[in-house]
Amino acid sequence: MIRHLAGKVGGALVSLLFVVALGFLLFRVIPGDPVVAMTRGRPVTGDQLAELRARLGVDKPLDEQFVDYLTAALRGDFGTSYVYSRPVMELIGERMWPTILLTGTATVLAVVLGLWLGIRGAWRRGSRSDRISTGAALAQWAMPTFWLGMLLSLATGDLFPSGGMRYPDTPPDFLSQALDVAHHMVLPCLTMIAVVYAQYLLVMRSSLLEEMHADYLTTARAKGLRDDLVRRRHAVPNALLPTVTLVFLHLGLVVSGAITVETVFSWPGLGLLTYEALTGPDLPLLQGTFVVLAGAVITMNVFADLLYRVLDPRVRAS
Amino acid sequence: MSLLELRDLSVHYQGARGEVTAVRSVSLALEAGRTLGLAGESGCGKSTVAMSVLRLLPRNARVEGQVLLDGEDVQTMSWGRLRAVRWAAASVVFQGAMHALNPVHRVGEQIAEPMRLHGVTGSVSELLDQVELPARAARAYPHELSGGQKQRVMIAMALACAPRLVIADEPTTALDVVVQAQVLDVLKRLVSERDIGLVMISHDLSVLASTCDRLAVMRNGEIVEEGPAREVIASPTHPHTQALAAAFPTVGDPASRHVTPADAEPSGAADRPVLLRAEGLRVDYGSTKAVAGVDLEVRAGEIVALVGQSGSGKTTLARTLLGLQRPTAGRVLFEGAELPRSASGLRAYRRQVQLVLQDPTSALNPRHSVYEAVAEGLRIHRVDGDEAERVAEALSHAELRPPELFFSSLPHELSGGQRQRVVIAGALALGPRLLIADEPVASLDASVRGEILALLLRLRRDLGLAALVITHDLGLAWTIADRVAVMYRGELVEQGTVEQVLLSPQHEYTRTLLAAVPHHGVPEPDRTGTP
Repeated sequence: MIRHLAGKVGGALVSLLFVVALGFLLFRVIPGDPVVAMTRGRPVTGDQLAELRARLGVDKPLDEQFVDYLTAALRGDFGTSYVYSRPVMELIGERMWPTILLTGTATVLAVVLGLWLGIRGAWRRGSRSDRISTGAALAQWAMPTFWLGMLLSLATGDLFPSGGMRYPDTPPDFLSQALDVAHHMVLPCLTMIAVVYAQYLLVMRSSLLEEMHADYLTTARAKGLRDDLVRRRHAVPNALLPTVTLVFLHLGLVVSGAITVETVFSWPGLGLLTYEALTGPDLPLLQGTFVVLAGAVITMNVFADLLYRVLDPRVRAS
Repeated sequence: MSLLELRDLSVHYQGARGEVTAVRSVSLALEAGRTLGLAGESGCGKSTVAMSVLRLLPRNARVEGQVLLDGEDVQTMSWGRLRAVRWAAASVVFQGAMHALNPVHRVGEQIAEPMRLHGVTGSVSELLDQVELPARAARAYPHELSGGQKQRVMIAMALACAPRLVIADEPTTALDVVVQAQVLDVLKRLVSERDIGLVMISHDLSVLASTCDRLAVMRNGEIVEEGPAREVIASPTHPHTQALAAAFPTVGDPASRHVTPADAEPSGAADRPVLLRAEGLRVDYGSTKAVAGVDLEVRAGEIVALVGQSGSGKTTLARTLLGLQRPTAGRVLFEGAELPRSASGLRAYRRQVQLVLQDPTSALNPRHSVYEAVAEGLRIHRVDGDEAERVAEALSHAELRPPELFFSSLPHELSGGQRQRVVIAGALALGPRLLIADEPVASLDASVRGEILALLLRLRRDLGLAALVITHDLGLAWTIADRVAVMYRGELVEQGTVEQVLLSPQHEYTRTLLAAVPHHGVPEPDRTGTP
């Protein structure tokens, strides 16, 4: 078990190193000179540009830049944002929590909703409610996120704020602040849930359908178990296994999936930060967010793997 | 009053293509302390009968007639009453070696579940003890147990609520002979100790013969013959029963030996050239010795049976002979030349030696037509000549005639026997000298077995094809083999002609295997005579 864990974590670290290196290369090949972008619309001389380049370190040869970047990155230093003129890691640390709050809430709700509807759908396969819920989930999944977001904010009118995370004039006590944030979170959260839950529904439904004909369910029925017990005790635990892996794999992706939602609702999280870094282009910030988003996927991957071993005795043994 | 009585039971399934009748007016009765065997091939309706006793049939089933459990009609019970009766009055031993146990629960929990549900007091370890399993088995998950152990767990579970009726649905299928004998013994003992009524369902007449008082043979949903087990087996009146009985040959019974002396030794087998030879073959997987020093010969036109329990190393040996597994030590010679190691050399070798697998359903790609399945080997080996002609020839050798009729069929449109013929045709298309067949008939119905075995014999006669048949079934070896090699823990403990090995076994293990074979009511062969 320890060996397996070490292997998994080691593998993940190697992947992460790749991501760090890739982060550097990727943003060197995208077009657009950061210095030109920073000074756009302002009268600057060639000397000033050269000085700026030297200060940012982009005048050195690529291999030297890479070594500088890598050694700094290993210390957790991704440089200073061109646009914000603040350390990248500080910015990311600040913006991470709103994203975790938003995606965490949305994921938990989407998972619960998706699994519940998936179980119901599979148990009453082909019934009217199954067809409606599956169809609706698919339709929402197919919708572009930004479009659904805008549609939702139009449809709900003034009921919920459609941007930001809190009003500036909210009293500073915890309860009012929390309520304010919750109020602001309704629309982005709904949008994310609507887009995402279909996946959980479909995976749960199909893996439960596969289990439905399993012989051990006949055994359970023959023992005299009520239908809902057969489902809860025997069918669902088995069908959950593939779903758990998907949920965790997806958790990592959800963070990057938040880019659209956060941009539409100007939610001050990592997604919005990435969007802002892209419009720069703010190279250090982009590298930083890229590494953090990719790191989230890798970490969740390790978690999914470990959790699967805990849940499934068959995998545990091998 | 009978413990179980079926009165005029019919079951119909509503399908997309209208109603299909699975069971047609079946009437049966069973008293406490007695055993009733229900025999028949797959699809004859025997499992439907079993499932109808506890009303476990799928929703699209329509049931007519009565199922009386202690005089009470199961069909008219309320759901609550039915749930109370399930497992407490009657329980089922499913084919536990397969998937009847929940893979993510410990077996102890699964045994205890019905006790808690029905409010019965009892102890799991006592139940495990009755089926001769240690108490610590309760902590195991199903995948940690062997097939025989899982089957015992199923039996322990069935006894959890001390029911008066137990229905065992193919309880020993997929177990090998020795384990099968142990499981059957446990069942027999429990019936006599606890005064249970047992309904035992199997496709294997010899299994039923050794356990049951009465026997009913089903075909196409109807009972074609019923009576005391000994009588039914010793003198079957219905042709279907006769076919079933013949499919499970008795070792030592000359009538069930299909190899004529003329086949076996036209000029003395020793004169024929050796086709395949293994010398001092060893295969180690880490510290496990799967094959531990095997010397084996297959001569041209000879059928050799390699018998042994599961886990004895038979399959590893076969893989090594095919060049799929490199031996740790020793060598394999084909016509005197050592097996090539290069990929192209091995490919040429495999044209000569073809493999036939156990389960034709999984060996065939469900989306490839018969033509493609047979032609695939020709294409891989880039065989010249008219492809269609060769495919047709191979199919007709495998007795799928006229071959053109089968070209475009897909596997699911064929019967089990036809599928196995397609697999054999695929091997024959390359004109091999030797077939290595791994349990070639184990997944086939009784009546089809005989045909496939006859086909192997005919191929040997017409094409001079040699075969190495790997099996756990001694009856199969008796039916078609010239020589038998008995494998035990990676070694060949005994080798010789069929008559030598099976009629006067020298090694202890061979005797154990022979003793474990369930036999019909017909007289015992003399096993002590001939040296």
